[in-house]
Amino acid sequence: MTVAIIDDEQHCIDRLMHLLEPHSDHVEIVSYSTVEEGIKGVDSLRPDIVFLDVQLHDRTGFDFLSSVSYRDFSLIFTTAYEKYAIEAFKFSAIAYLLKPVDRDDFEFAFQKALDKTEQAQLHERINVLLSNVSKGNGPKRISVPHKEGYVFLLVSHVVRCQADVNYTHIFTSDGKRYTASKTLKHFEQLLDGHQFFRTHNSHLINLDFVASYHKNGYAILSDGTKIEVSTRRRDAFVKACAQH
Amino acid sequence: MDAFVKRILCLLAFVAFVLPISAQQFQKELDSLSRLMENRSLTDTATIDLRNHYTKQALFANPSDTTLLDFAEKTLEISTKMGYGRGTMLAYERLALIHQYSFSNPYKAQEFYHKALALMEKDKRLKPYGWSIYGGIGTLYYEQEEYGKALDFFKQVLKHDKNLELTATANMANIYGSINQLDSAIYYYNKALDMEQVKDNPTYKANLYSNLSLIYGQDGQVDSALVSAEKSIALIEQYGIEFVRPTAYANASMAYMGNSDYEMAEKYAKLSLELSDAQGNLFLQKSAWGTLADVYAAKGDFSNALEAYKKFSVLKDSLNGQNRRVEINRKQLEFDFEKERTVTKAEIERQTTIKRATLLGGGGLLLASVFGFMLYKRRRDDLEQKREAEFRALVSDTELKALRAQMNPHFIFNSLNSIGDYILKNDTETAMEYLTKFAKLMRMVLENSEFKEIPLSEDLKFLELYLQVESKRQPGKFSYEISVEEDLDTENIAVPPMMLQPFIENSIWHGFAQKADRGHISIGIVKQGNMLLCTVDDDGQGRQTEGYVLATKKAFGVAITESRLEILNAQKNTKGKLDIMDKGRDKGTRVEVSLPLETIF
Repeated sequence: MTVAIIDDEQHCIDRLMHLLEPHSDHVEIVSYSTVEEGIKGVDSLRPDIVFLDVQLHDRTGFDFLSSVSYRDFSLIFTTAYEKYAIEAFKFSAIAYLLKPVDRDDFEFAFQKALDKTEQAQLHERINVLLSNVSKGNGPKRISVPHKEGYVFLLVSHVVRCQADVNYTHIFTSDGKRYTASKTLKHFEQLLDGHQFFRTHNSHLINLDFVASYHKNGYAILSDGTKIEVSTRRRDAFVKACAQH
Repeated sequence: MDAFVKRILCLLAFVAFVLPISAQQFQKELDSLSRLMENRSLTDTATIDLRNHYTKQALFANPSDTTLLDFAEKTLEISTKMGYGRGTMLAYERLALIHQYSFSNPYKAQEFYHKALALMEKDKRLKPYGWSIYGGIGTLYYEQEEYGKALDFFKQVLKHDKNLELTATANMANIYGSINQLDSAIYYYNKALDMEQVKDNPTYKANLYSNLSLIYGQDGQVDSALVSAEKSIALIEQYGIEFVRPTAYANASMAYMGNSDYEMAEKYAKLSLELSDAQGNLFLQKSAWGTLADVYAAKGDFSNALEAYKKFSVLKDSLNGQNRRVEINRKQLEFDFEKERTVTKAEIERQTTIKRATLLGGGGLLLASVFGFMLYKRRRDDLEQKREAEFRALVSDTELKALRAQMNPHFIFNSLNSIGDYILKNDTETAMEYLTKFAKLMRMVLENSEFKEIPLSEDLKFLELYLQVESKRQPGKFSYEISVEEDLDTENIAVPPMMLQPFIENSIWHGFAQKADRGHISIGIVKQGNMLLCTVDDDGQGRQTEGYVLATKKAFGVAITESRLEILNAQKNTKGKLDIMDKGRDKGTRVEVSLPLETIF
């Protein structure tokens, strides 16, 4: 098995190599410190797993992804504190590790990278990631994990999300419903600040679709659904609607 | 609308404009009026006139004098018996005024104005006195925030009566200000100030400049606001216009604040406070404390800013309480009033076409200034909201600083030392493990610091990690447990981030420092009524044994926690508190932080 590390800092490469040591009997490691080297190397060597840094001198890991021809690898991003990038990874359901990399976190991500089912639709997820980071003004699409893999939704088409224990039902403007294998909290953290508002323990709604609000505590969406707004969230909700 | 405030403020305005005399002189006149009445026969038209005159003056001298109602009803009774039309009409008008300004009952006021108008319609000779009635109804429209109707009224006045040109213009300016059409308001204020009638009326002029300053400020024209405020104050000083003084000072203070002249803003806010304090005018006091809070905040004097803000909040709450009572009263009357108003409206419209009366300037002037002060109140409310938002931002800033200070350098450098130690011992694996945990912790501190409140589950995660890192740094030194009451939904409970961390740090660094055997920390979260009781309990050496240096350091964490609780309590009107208990020498310390139990949803 071949693992490629693309990072412009030698000590980061060293760290990952150190963490890979327990697997050294069946892993061959190659490393590149620029986008150009990475593209050339990956296209010719076709590695199984790529660890990719976000910032590579004056270029980015995204530049690498959009130019490389071979993409049938498991991808794990590495970053220290690029907030916007972390958000984009979450939106696209792309794996990432924070530097300095913790061994437990590393092992978890590495095992997932080895698992073929975890790599389902990685192409599409990378496309979502690239479109989200390239357009500016925040992510436009979201990768939603569900039982048969992933579904890719435009954020602006998501009307609302509703909690169902550890699952979340996502309702879109074309009247469809998707059940995601993530908690509502996951989607709240993802979508909060992108015109979404958590009105209730079980509801996260897109403010674009709010048709009216009734003082006795519920909002009516444009598809006619009545959504409860919990007492503690009412003031903030009205404010968010006003500012929206 | 704030009836209480309005009453007091209109008193100032009326007396100032109608009788440009001092309070002492005014009291003298009232006294002589009473004496005059004593010596007269009751059934004399001159006595009725005198009684009506007295009622109006006494009402505005002391609006809380409830005996006036009996007095006015008696006047009405006698005048009706005598068949003295003008006396009866004016008695109705006085009763309306009493209900409007003394009892804040617009329904009753409307009823009496309506009766007065009905009399006037019957007898054309009474028409010259009609404008003040008409004006009273206009004021009621304004109180109901029916600005359109009030505006129509003054447009008519402006069109038909040259004598009332100034009054109408000033009123229109105030109304435009109220409906936030600032350009129109500024235009009409300046028009009023250019009029001939205003030249020999410094009181009116001072009030106009004061109101204009407010509107300029609202429009963001801070320079013009200051020029107007200074003109207003110059007039007040020159002519000794006491009645406009407290309001003008409050306006000037805001104008200086807008120009970042904090010294002058502070000076005038304090002067306004002194005067309004003496008058018992809560509304102006509230305004002055609000401005002072801004001034202190701008100067970086946060403790005084907090003090001023507290006073401001207390006054605001008490004034709002009064507002609510008036609101409730108003709601009950709304239905009846609506019916009444439909009738009256038809009446008024008929009157408008026939009426060409000259009016005693007073009524109109009264309206102008009443509107002016109500406008002032609106403006203040807007500012209050902005100010509260700014103050809240300021508080969060302070909190953030406090949070960053909590994760103090002490901890950071000791952690780095520990890492260095592992490296020296060639235990790179442990060094690395420790480092990554430490990095995670720092990341969490940074993320949590962004929020004023976080879910309890997040805070517990942080504490767990913090304890892990600390126990890794000194293995075998202590053990810990975190127990959370079972039915608490930690995802749905909001807490200020990292409140317990300084106390856990104290236990580890000081409580266990000299301890020979393994220490133990218990962290407990339980529900206690509507509070969340968070405890840190250790079996360390207790507080008494600690040296001076440690005591001061400890006090720092305590002080931060106390001030955070204080801000929290002020904002949420709760009773969160901190208790530190010494369990005795070598028995340990127990810290209890009690927070309001708040759910997120």
